[in-house]
Formats: sequence, C-alpha cells, structure tokens
Amino acid sequence: MADMPMQQPPGRIVLPPHRVRASRPFSVRAREWVRRNLFPSRNGTILTVIAVGFLGALLAGVIWFVFIDANWRVITENRWLLFAGGYPREEAWRLWMGMGFTFMLIGLTYGTWSSFGRRDHIFVGLISAFVVFLMAHGGASIWSSLWFLLAVGVMYLSYAVTVRMPRELGPIRTLQQRVVGGLLILALPIALMILLSGDASARQLDGFVLNLVLAPVGIVGGLAMAIPLAIGRASRMKTISWTCTAYIEIVRGAPLLGWLFVALFILDDVIGGSLIVRAMVVMAVFTGAYMAESIRGALQALPRGQYEAAHAVGLSRLQALRLIILPQALRISIPPIVGQAIAIWKDTTLVTVILPLRELKGNADSAIAQFEFTPDRIEAYVFVAVVFWAVAFMMSRISQRVERTLGVGER
Amino acid sequence: MTMSAGAPPEAASVPLIHRRSFRDFATQSVYVAITAVAFLYVFYSLNLREFGFGFLDDPAAFKVGNQWITDVDGVTNSRITMYMVGVWSSLRAVIVAIALSTVLGVVVGVARLSNNWLVSWLAMLFVEIFRNTPLLVQVVLVYSVFLVGMPLIQNVISIGDIFFVSNRGIAMPWPVPNGGLWGLPDWFAGVWVLVLLVLAVVAMRVRARRQEQERETGIPMNANRRALTLFAIGAVASYLVMGGPVWMDAPIVTGTHYEEGMVIIPEFAALVTGLTLYTGSFIAEIVRAGIQALPRGQTEAANAVGLSNYQRLTLVILPQALRQIIPSVTNQYLNVNKNSSLAYAVLYDDLFRVAGIIQNKAGHALEMFFLIIVTYMIISFVISVIMNFFNARVTVHEV
Repeated sequence: MADMPMQQPPGRIVLPPHRVRASRPFSVRAREWVRRNLFPSRNGTILTVIAVGFLGALLAGVIWFVFIDANWRVITENRWLLFAGGYPREEAWRLWMGMGFTFMLIGLTYGTWSSFGRRDHIFVGLISAFVVFLMAHGGASIWSSLWFLLAVGVMYLSYAVTVRMPRELGPIRTLQQRVVGGLLILALPIALMILLSGDASARQLDGFVLNLVLAPVGIVGGLAMAIPLAIGRASRMKTISWTCTAYIEIVRGAPLLGWLFVALFILDDVIGGSLIVRAMVVMAVFTGAYMAESIRGALQALPRGQYEAAHAVGLSRLQALRLIILPQALRISIPPIVGQAIAIWKDTTLVTVILPLRELKGNADSAIAQFEFTPDRIEAYVFVAVVFWAVAFMMSRISQRVERTLGVGER
Repeated sequence: MTMSAGAPPEAASVPLIHRRSFRDFATQSVYVAITAVAFLYVFYSLNLREFGFGFLDDPAAFKVGNQWITDVDGVTNSRITMYMVGVWSSLRAVIVAIALSTVLGVVVGVARLSNNWLVSWLAMLFVEIFRNTPLLVQVVLVYSVFLVGMPLIQNVISIGDIFFVSNRGIAMPWPVPNGGLWGLPDWFAGVWVLVLLVLAVVAMRVRARRQEQERETGIPMNANRRALTLFAIGAVASYLVMGGPVWMDAPIVTGTHYEEGMVIIPEFAALVTGLTLYTGSFIAEIVRAGIQALPRGQTEAANAVGLSNYQRLTLVILPQALRQIIPSVTNQYLNVNKNSSLAYAVLYDDLFRVAGIIQNKAGHALEMFFLIIVTYMIISFVISVIMNFFNARVTVHEV
C-alpha cells in the first residue's frame, strides 16, 4: 500500500481507501487477489496446490468419462422411454402443450414480479443447448427439439410482453398481477387437464413426465394440508392441537417408502382409486406434515405483539389469521418450504422402488435392462442425476430470488 | 392487574353464543365428531378380521444376507427373528453413515468458509452437487460403480495382500476372538473389550480432573497426553496378561469369494456411501450456518490471544457453534435413520426389506407397517435422547 498517494492535491475529491484500492489497474488488483486468496502463507499455498491437484484429477476424470469412456447411446436410444415411457405417442402434443404452458407461466411470472438476469439467460441457453444436443443424436425427428425451442420462445415472448408493462401501482398493474396470480393458482389443474384429457389417462403417466406431475401435486397438496395442520397444532383447543400433533408426528415417524408401502397394500381398501392417485395422496400427506412443522416454526417466530395488535384493532380471530398472521408466517417460512419442495422433487424417485410405477429413474432401470445396454448403468444414472440436479438447482435459485424480492430475513 | 382472578364481572351478560368457553366447546365437539367419523370409516374399511401378530412366530423360510455376529439360516428361525436381524443390519448402516457424514460435514462446512478461494469453491461444488440430486440415484450410482466399474473377483485388486477390492466388495483385516497363549475360550475376547471400556472411562475421568486442575491453577497438566498414555499402557498390559485374546485376521481370496477378515459388501457400501455424501452435504451447510452465526469478534479475539488456526477452530469457534448446530444435525440423523430404508433399492436386507419379504410371504400388510413405523420411531427416539444429552452439555447455563 506504499504506492498509494497519501496526500491528495487540494481541490480534488478525496476517495475513501477502498475506492482508491479499487481504482488501481486490473493487473495489480488481480495479482493481489491471487496472493490473498490462493497464496497467503506457506500452509495456504500447500492447501492450494493440493486443491489444484484434486481439481485437476477430478476434471480429468470427468472429461475422460464423459467424452471417452461413456456410451451415451443408452440415453439417446431410449430418449422417449426416459421422457414419457408408456404415454401414448399420438398424444405427445399434449406434453409439448403442457411444456409450453409451463414455460409461458415462468415467463409471465418473471415479467411481472422479477426480471431475467444474465445468469438466467445463460441457464436457459445451457438447458436448451443440452436438450437440442440430446435430440440431435440418433434417429429422433427434428420436431422434438423444435417444440422445445418453441416453448422457450413462448417463455421469452410472454416475458417480453409483461416486463414492458408499467410497474407503478395502478389499475393496469393490479389487473396484471391478478391475471398472472390467478393463472399461477390454476396452473396445476390446467396442466393436468392438458395432459390427461383425450385418450391419455393418469395410468399412462410415465418417465420424467411422472416426476413432473407428482412433485407439483405433492407440493401444492402438501401446502394445502400444511396450513390448517400448523394452525391446528398451534391452537389453544386441546383436542385439536393434540390430534394435529399426533398426525404430524406419526407421518414424520415413518420414511416415505413406508407410506408408499401403505399406498400399495393398505390404502386400496380405504380410498380406492388407481395406484398413481394413491401415490399422489401419499406424497401430499407426507409433504404436508413436514411443511406444517416449518409453518408452525414461523407462527412461533412471530412476535406476540402481532397477535395482540390484531386483537386490539378489533379483528376477529379468523380475520387476524388471514390478514395479519398467515401472510407474515408464510413469508418467513419460504426457505424451509422450498427446502421441502426440493426434497419432495428428489423423493419422486422413490415411487419406483416399491410401486409398479416407473418414473425417470425407473425407466433408466428399464433402459439398462436391455441386453445391449447392460454395461451402461453408470451413464444412465449419471444422466438421471444431472436432470434432477438441474431442476432442483433451478428451484433453489428461484427461491433465493423470491426471498430477495419479498425481503425475507430483513427487518 | 388489580382485578381479582376469574371471569370479568360482565361475563354473565354476554350471550352464550358469544362466550369464548362455549364457542371453544362447540368447535371442539364438531371437530371431534368429524374426526371420529373419519376414523371409524378408515377403521371399518380396513380388513381387520385377521388382524394379529401371530404370523410373526411362524418359521421364516427365507434367507437374510449380510449378517454380522448373528448367524441365522431362516429355516428354523421365526419371522420376527429374521426381522430383528434386519433391524440389526439397518442399525449398522445408520451408525456408520451417521459417523462418516458427521466427519465429512464438519470438514466440508469448515472448508466452505476457508480463506482459500479454491478450497471454499470445491466445498461449495460438493454441497451443491450432492444436496440437489436424489439420494436414491446416488445410492444406485455407487452400486453401479461396484457392479460394472470394479474388476471381477478373479482379477481382484490387492493392496499389500491385506485389502482387496472387487465387484464382490471390499475385504479388510478384522480382529477376531482367538484362544491366545493360554488357550482361553473365545468369550475372553469379550472380557478384554470390557476391560478396554473400563479403561476408557477411567482415562476420561483422569482427563477431566486434570483439565479442571489446569483451569484452576494455570499450570499445564497435559490432560490429553496423560489420559491417552494411561489407556494405551492399560490396553497393552491387559492384552499381554490375557495372552492375546484377539487377533487380526487378514482376508483371503479363495475361488470366487472372500474368506475371513471383514467384507464390506457392495450393497452396504453403496447405501452407506450414498447416505454419507447426501447427509454430509446437508451437515456441511448446517455447520457453515452455525459458524457464520457467531459474532466476528470471536475470531478476532482468538487471533488476538495468539491461537493458531487449528486452535481457534477447535477451542473457540466449533464449541460455540455447536449450540446452534446440534439441533439441526439431530434432524439430519433422524433423516439418516428413515433414509436407510432406501436399502430396498439395492437389495440390502435392512428392516424395511425384510418386512417387505415377510409381507410378500404372509400378507398382513397393516401389521407389518405397524412394526416398521414403531421400529423407526424407537430408533429415532434413541437418537433424539442421545443428541439431547449432548445438547444439554453444550448449552450455556447462565447464572
């Protein structure tokens, strides 16, 4: 720091020290950053060398596996099996339409309440490139990638339309928020209607499509169960709070596989319905118990003054709950609820383990059960892991965005 | 509050329907009625005529693999015995996974906060990869690496003829009871283990007392070194006196299987590795959050009194961070317990899979589910009790 000018000539603006440091040439700053972050001391340097060696070995291993060792034909040849499995081929347009609808909603939501940053564009670009790359190999028709790109186009179009609308409060803004919000609330029923009318039935949901249906049903259903359960557990009426507590603890006592066991062997006598519907019910019940605990934590975290203030201005208990308590409690509990949502997204793989339902991982099992592809187990499961990772990662990033927009954790 | 306890005086004039006590009573009555109807509906729709646990005493007629210490064949043993063998298999996987994931989680969590940019980036990479992929896929992926990535046992990889790696699993040396010099019966190995336990307790007491003295007088008492020396001398002496009751047994490869030593079968390795990586990534985040929640002054104070980086971490930062870490980590341990049921996917005979086999042979799904959920709850309860004990020890009792 000796080269820093200690005395500023009179009449010039005196910059604070960090601005002075930041105004030095890039090469100097880069050298300092490297020294401070990578070679601070002897031990630090040793650590860096070890880390570089580890990273190099890792990178070499990954490159060797991906480009030399792996036989990705197990994925490209079984594309449709992995994606939709037994879903009728002639109804495939429903899948594309459902995808377009979902992408449109994403575009609308981002356009209304947020905006795409450079990282979002890069993420969308990478995913699109991945899908197109996957479709460009083997004997797939060009239509599938075109449909996907069309859906991405719809997303950007709806984004472009909404992001240009005025953000200032006013009748147009209110209308926009109501329309998009309403669409979001109705999104799941609409998407299910698109997928399941006509010749396609719930029984034929298969492959990755099954994951994409099960997880939202579990999340939305779980949230719908969780709110009354959390309020019930916090209730001052003993019968209600005890039964809600017992319910939550029993559901949390057994693993999801145990409850899927119930769906397979026991629930048939109680609610009937096809297996896939029972699996959906179990997913919602299971997630609901965990989400209820998150919301209960938020209810307890609210300062007592909130309840008292609501009481003081003469709100009834229901009004206080609806207008004062729940909005704040739900806002606080966004991070754990998204954590649960990601957990249930990953747990959709479990339906394969004991139920005769085949989601993405189950169809990967089928793919490697073909004689030709038996040696390619690792490739198949790596692909499954990458797909699940991408969606889960996206969910966690969107949650961070929502938290920042709503100011969760700020006072 | 100058008014005396009890209902305010105007309570009598409030109409019954607006009184809180009446409203609560009415709400609860309706609620109980609805719940009871739902409960009765479920109760009657289940087929309960054959409900009973008698079928568990019948002979099992199936085999359970991966036994350790136990050795039951399933021909003469009852179903409940086989189930208990499954519980024991689950417990082993859970204990090993909890221990490994804790170590991994603490290391990665601390590395995440390293000043070294590369190390912290690697830790983040680890967390983001393993937290966001399904545990099931991780488990089957490790299993696949064993199945197709490891050599056949005919071309087994041998490390100094002590460790062996092949697609049949990993074999390593393991202590076994042995008559020793005086030709004592096998159970003397157990006596020696007991002696070791007693020694450990004594050593811990010595360590605690010396630490106490060090705190009071300020004179270094070398508590750790003394305790360790005491334990080592006692262990070696008792071993020699008993004439070597335990011997390390190296594994041997004969034909297409391992003999002697300890064999970690691929199913167990896959389950435990998956659980460790998955849970470790969550624990790493918990540890990071726990450390970050500490005031920066703690680090600065530790630096000011001249502690080394390692001392700062083990003497100042981690002990305080533990208060926030332990409750969340307990949750993760409970998850390990429940997630161990994924053994089903790689055909490791844990309690869930054995229960599934029994249900397959004998029916009685409801009873089997009862058994499963009660078992998991008992294990969860034990984990919570142990962790609450630790939690009570690290909690600050102010005043």
